[in-house]
Amino acid sequence: MRRRCAPHVLPAPASGCSGIKLSATRSCDSWFFFFFPPPFEVESQEQSGGGGGGPTARVVSAGGCSLFSSTLSRSFVARRDFSLQPFPFAMAGAIIENMSTKKLVIVGVILLLFQAFAFMVGGLIAPSPTTAVHYLATKCVDTVKQRQETKWFMPWGPNQCDKIRTFDEAMAKKIEANNIVFAVHIPLPNKEMSSWFQFMLVILQFDIAFRMHNQIKDGALVTIDVSLAYRDDTISKWTEMAHSFEQRKLSCNFTTTKTSENEGRHYECDLLPFMEVGSVAHKYYLLNIRLPINERKNINVGIGEIKDIRLVSIHQNGGFTKVWFAMKTFLTPSILIIMIWYWRRITLMSRPPVLLEKVILALGISMTFINIPVEWFSIGFNWTWMLLFGDIRQGIFYSMLLSFWIIFCGEHLMGTRLFAAWSLERGQVKMCESGLPTITELVTELGSHLTNNLQDQTERNRLSVYWKQVGPIVFGSFCLFIFDMCERGVQLKNPFYSIWASEVGTELAMAFIIVAGICACLYFLFLCFMVFQVFRNISGKRTSLPAMSKARRLHYEGLIFRFKFLMLVTLTCAAMTVIFFIISQVNGGHWHWGEHTVQVNSAFFTGIYGMWNLYVFAIMFLYAPSHKRYGDEQSSGQCITGDAGANSGEDNQLTTTITHVDGPTEIYKMIGKEAQE
Amino acid sequence: MDNRPVRRRRTGVVRHLLLAAAFLACSSQMLVVDANSWWSLALTPIQMPEMYIIGAQPLCSQLSGLSQGQRKLCQLYQDHMKYIGEGAKTGIKECQYQFRQRRWNCSTVDNESVFGRVMQIGSRETAFTYAISAAGVVHAISRACREGELSTCGCSRAARPRDLPRDWLWGGCGDNVHYGYRFSREFVDAREREKNYPRGSPEQTRILMNLQNNEAGRQAVYNLANVACKCHGVSGSCSLKTCWLQLADFRQIGEFLKEKYDSAAAMRSGRKGKLELVDKRFNPPTAGDLIYIDPSPDYCHRNETTGSLGTQGRLCNKTSEGMDGCELMCCGRGYDQFKTYKHERCFCKFHWCCYVMCKRCTSLVDQFVCK
Repeated sequence: MRRRCAPHVLPAPASGCSGIKLSATRSCDSWFFFFFPPPFEVESQEQSGGGGGGPTARVVSAGGCSLFSSTLSRSFVARRDFSLQPFPFAMAGAIIENMSTKKLVIVGVILLLFQAFAFMVGGLIAPSPTTAVHYLATKCVDTVKQRQETKWFMPWGPNQCDKIRTFDEAMAKKIEANNIVFAVHIPLPNKEMSSWFQFMLVILQFDIAFRMHNQIKDGALVTIDVSLAYRDDTISKWTEMAHSFEQRKLSCNFTTTKTSENEGRHYECDLLPFMEVGSVAHKYYLLNIRLPINERKNINVGIGEIKDIRLVSIHQNGGFTKVWFAMKTFLTPSILIIMIWYWRRITLMSRPPVLLEKVILALGISMTFINIPVEWFSIGFNWTWMLLFGDIRQGIFYSMLLSFWIIFCGEHLMGTRLFAAWSLERGQVKMCESGLPTITELVTELGSHLTNNLQDQTERNRLSVYWKQVGPIVFGSFCLFIFDMCERGVQLKNPFYSIWASEVGTELAMAFIIVAGICACLYFLFLCFMVFQVFRNISGKRTSLPAMSKARRLHYEGLIFRFKFLMLVTLTCAAMTVIFFIISQVNGGHWHWGEHTVQVNSAFFTGIYGMWNLYVFAIMFLYAPSHKRYGDEQSSGQCITGDAGANSGEDNQLTTTITHVDGPTEIYKMIGKEAQE
Repeated sequence: MDNRPVRRRRTGVVRHLLLAAAFLACSSQMLVVDANSWWSLALTPIQMPEMYIIGAQPLCSQLSGLSQGQRKLCQLYQDHMKYIGEGAKTGIKECQYQFRQRRWNCSTVDNESVFGRVMQIGSRETAFTYAISAAGVVHAISRACREGELSTCGCSRAARPRDLPRDWLWGGCGDNVHYGYRFSREFVDAREREKNYPRGSPEQTRILMNLQNNEAGRQAVYNLANVACKCHGVSGSCSLKTCWLQLADFRQIGEFLKEKYDSAAAMRSGRKGKLELVDKRFNPPTAGDLIYIDPSPDYCHRNETTGSLGTQGRLCNKTSEGMDGCELMCCGRGYDQFKTYKHERCFCKFHWCCYVMCKRCTSLVDQFVCK
């Protein structure tokens, strides 16, 4: 801010909006200002047609170098005796600008076809993403004799335990609560688990009957002594996998009146998170659950009359996993190839890549990172951390995508800032014609600011300029990462752990999520303001477009098109994501179309996943620097003319685009030449 | 096992032949057969688990009250029979609970026909009984499924045990309620479907009524099952959500069907042998509604022909204005009053299971019994 708004150019308003002249309709409170990085304000001033400082003052505020380059390029362009890059931070002509409408439509149609294909793969080939299987715990009786050794209780099959059907039976047989073991075998008989299921989470639910004299106390805690075992064939011994004492808070309510009439009716209890394993490497799992009673320590007292324990296990479907893997395996090379192609193009240019180009590459890398089908290994190896790893990968991609949007908007704002220079240009042209002294005067005055401004541009090309916008993203994703580590990270050690089970954990988790939510809101505010600003600039610029020189007009048209195109595509993608998300949430999971069943949830996953891949693909392809040589200045959307432009060669053209680093000297040279003339 | 459908088709033909023969021979014989019901499974406990491991036939032939189709199903799904019996038992228990204060109190008469001759009348009460027992079977089979007691459970699209692992691996098969529903439809309706009467005949009308009421009962279980969902996407977000059906408490199903009983639609045999409303001003019943074709018999007095037991000797509530009030319950015959001691548990200490320490409190109460 300090750099941009030279104090002598425009007087700083008292509120601290230094050097920024806001139009009368907008209030100038500091909060509002906070959201606007300087370039916009300068812009807005230019659009308002200036008022304050007269032409000279405005020139300075707009950035002297731009003025110069544009003014001078107009006079020198015909000669083609030197090249000039007036927009060091803006992208060189991207493919999208130089592509004919026809080709663009073809590309669009191809992408749409792929998109439709992605949806269809999920909707028609894949089964639903997950399955929930219910289990009712079998009540086994642990006779005292067998207590010594760790014994596993099987609910069915050979070697099954002594079962009781109801607790009335236990009452009659005088069996104590401490001798009751709830046994659940996952999966159901005649089935076996498979590593294609990827993960398994189990939810616990109590069936508690209402009794007038034995009601659930407020805030009752259940202490569960649970152990998990596995084996890979039906005859071998069970191997213990985990053992833990867990506490869960019962939140049950009784919907009808608590009268003796309604005794025996069940409470409605919330689902309790119970277990989560990140890989399903074994065929059979066995859960043994005990609810030990200790009256002295007040353990499991006042939890009502438990009738049954129900479990629901959720696992990914093998079919979905296969389709998903196939998709990943197919997408990885496509994105990788386009990424390499894109980066080669960038490096072919003589100038170092600008921020936006780097960000696009980073987006490609994060997409590839998500795409790489490392999950294939989970079929052979028992990698429980796969879930966590998947979360991290997704998190990285999301934050990269969000950062990309901000930076894209920002860079296009700065690009359009140059428009200000152009609007001055009209005023300056006359001066040029009227006589050199004016320009020399201008030059001398500008000289002092020139270095400053160029340095400014170099800095704007850095990520640090966007700390305000990228900060919330990083912070928000960091919060979510910590939360995820607290939940899934700990679950690597103890699959029964749940952050939501304890009071402190719940608060901590909520805190993380709320902070992440605030960050997301902050981010979207920034983004909305930025987009709003860009659109305001565009609409302002529209009016003055016809009066521009052709090269300049084409340049701005290119910028506008580039921005609007991305805006449109991004909004479409985001809207599609939201719409499909809502459909998949509201819908029961599948639609019937005649004989075909369309799996909406699977279509959502594959379709949206495919869509963002295509999005990244399209961005890298369309926003890569263009090959097309600017044989004629008139035909290009760029106002850069290569000095070797006439003797052609795309590579040549690409290399001649000078960098902003040697910008100043060139400009000084130019000025000198002009002055001599 | 995999050639089951083929076998079934063949037996279908045989069955039709047999039925046609039986029908031609004597229709009065059918009534006798009809008197036996699969409900008897509720009363004759099936305690021969080793029988169905061996896959022995005797079990199914021993069980009384099964129709031919049901017997066939019994042979195929022997392990299910115990739970069908349990389902019928829960249904009857719930029926008795819901009707404890009415003149007809759903009492069972004997082990063969279970409810006696009342069920031969296509009344509201009959409709309720069919519905609740069908609901009981859905409930019990779904529950047994969850307990892992049934070998064919889960993947509910026809029984294809050989293909099962593949199906399971590809798309999982978790919906037990669906399985319970389908099996119950196969089994309970088998009895009605295997009979073949001319259109518009009273027997055909009755079959249509039974089918409708069975379906209403099953749908009650399905419709009252609530959907529970769990979000488990990235960081527990809802991007990945799994939902499943959760069965309602059977008491709730009973209450729901009782409401349906109160709003049951009176039907009669219409044109083309279809049922139509007696009073066309009402809305036609949906698949979830109960229907009846005959008016209820007089339940006040004992009647051998209708099978009514009468209300003599029933307890009633002197102060109540409702159906359990002595005035209505005793049909104006008056009541006897006597005093009894009522023992109650009080000041209890409970554990979640199997441990109660109570004092016994005794109070003297008045009781009223219909004359």
